[in-house]
Amino acid sequence: MTFADAINTAVIGKGLMIGLGFIGPAIGIGLIGGNYLKAVGRNPEAAKFFGQALVFVAIVELFGLLAFASTFIVK
Amino acid sequence: MFTALLGRLADSGPAIHVAPLDVFHIGGLTITNSILYGWITAVLLSALLIWVTRNVSVRPKGGVMQFVEAGADFITSLVENAFDDRKVGRKYVPFFVTLFFFILLNNWFGLIPGVGEAFRSGDHPLLRPFTADLNGTLAIGIVTMIYVYAASVRESGGVVNYFKHFFIGSPLNPLYLIIGLLEMLTDLTRVFSLSLRLFLNVTIGEIVIGVFSYLGHVVAPVTALPFTLVELFIGALQAYIFTVLSLMYLAIAVNHASEHAHEDHSLTGYEPSETMGQDPGQVGEARGA
Repeated sequence: MTFADAINTAVIGKGLMIGLGFIGPAIGIGLIGGNYLKAVGRNPEAAKFFGQALVFVAIVELFGLLAFASTFIVK
Repeated sequence: MFTALLGRLADSGPAIHVAPLDVFHIGGLTITNSILYGWITAVLLSALLIWVTRNVSVRPKGGVMQFVEAGADFITSLVENAFDDRKVGRKYVPFFVTLFFFILLNNWFGLIPGVGEAFRSGDHPLLRPFTADLNGTLAIGIVTMIYVYAASVRESGGVVNYFKHFFIGSPLNPLYLIIGLLEMLTDLTRVFSLSLRLFLNVTIGEIVIGVFSYLGHVVAPVTALPFTLVELFIGALQAYIFTVLSLMYLAIAVNHASEHAHEDHSLTGYEPSETMGQDPGQVGEARGA
């Protein structure tokens, strides 16, 4: 009995896809949030750009969600 | 042994549906649970907004009205400030306000306890949030982008003028031609990025709530509550982001068109579209200060 027979490799694949796929957006959103706060710290007038920061969060977040959606293809 | 164990775990897992399921048929058309709930939401939204507009008064009232007014006011100022010319922006306010409220209400109505597995027709759930269905969000995305394209063509004065925006120079130059064609291609992917983002956010929220209420077992409301609250926030955020992104697509095309019209003095007083959402006057003051 081989390793691939004993363990459902699709589950491992799905886990890796979700885990690795979410690392990138997590770093990206962290960078956006950190840089936003840095900008506000230097220049409090920049606080009005919060809406635009959220738009970039949404753009970054899409890639993590795509990784999640791709797990449904793995059988 | 592993397979048997995993199989048993998978069998008793929480009920997760990514695709909408059929509820009934009208003629040859299949009515899915998501479109049924979408209709219910659309009727309720129309009733709510008609009631609010009937009862609108100079002296502010409390209750639901004040939230609708605040939301409408927020989107109105957002739309008006996105355009160089506020009068141009005013024309597009109704569409974006409707879009915002439609997505917001659909996202929030999906979180009402009982939507999903509680009501069943046959062995399918009867209700499913409209935005948790790719067909639904794709429909919203296509309608929005058709509106945006039609409005940008109208504002730039003709199809030929609109297509000129994609080229930074003469299309006869092969480099500019390829860049322009790539720009057009990326423009077409906006429909999918808009609809996929909304669909995945809402669906994943549903799945997360489903998983945590399954893990909670008898105390399911307690374990699912924090994630429901997070989803409440994400639902509002996604409605805002969908509105802002589609607004940005329109504003970039329209502002670009008005720049072309006044090409002579655009070299000195050039304000790029990154000042979107801000009054151009304010930005000037901030720089001067």
